[in-house]
Amino acid sequence: MKIIFQTKKLNVEKVLNNFASKNNSSGSVISFLGKVRPSNKEKKIKTMDIEIYEKMALYQTKLALKKLLKEIKIQDYLIMHRYGNLKPGENIIFLIVASEHRKEGFIFIQEILLYFKKKITFWKKENYQDSSKWLDKQS
Amino acid sequence: MKILYFAKIKEVIGKSEDSITIKEQTTVKDVVEKLKLINESYKLAFQDTKNIKCSVNCNYINSFQTKVTNNDEIAFFPPVTGG
Repeated sequence: MKIIFQTKKLNVEKVLNNFASKNNSSGSVISFLGKVRPSNKEKKIKTMDIEIYEKMALYQTKLALKKLLKEIKIQDYLIMHRYGNLKPGENIIFLIVASEHRKEGFIFIQEILLYFKKKITFWKKENYQDSSKWLDKQS
Repeated sequence: MKILYFAKIKEVIGKSEDSITIKEQTTVKDVVEKLKLINESYKLAFQDTKNIKCSVNCNYINSFQTKVTNNDEIAFFPPVTGG
């Protein structure tokens, strides 16, 4: 059960294999990977800056988990989110959840993603060829 | 009190944090009014507070009328766009 916010690239294959091995007795292991898109409304994205208020992001993620884990039963989770400067195609967020059955796992992934869109303190700025724009809508 | 700025607000102000001393038991709104007096960048950053989110000690607040003290950490930022 881990929450990791980091600047270095996410090695999803290694992380997923380790997680699945560790949770050998779980009937379901579900993962979600969110990536930087190559363009936004036909504007080509050169890079994306992701800013974090780390102390609050961690605190709010723990609050969200506390609430969610009262409602659904899971066996293990891993939440990873990158910040810093990313290129199109790079991984932003990686979630993995192990549970006895798949239903709880899908709910967990969906709910955690909603929290990240609404409450967890990360901000994205898209850098184009000649300009930059902070995203102000969920995407 | 420690005040943190993030994303667009940080860029407009030109710095990521400030430390100020306030009268005991003032409101977030009073803090904002005090900050707006620093210079034009602060005034611009806090021109429209409808789109500014605020937290006190990592908890979201619902109203700028929330009371704060010198021991609090306040953060101002736009709506989040993570995930």
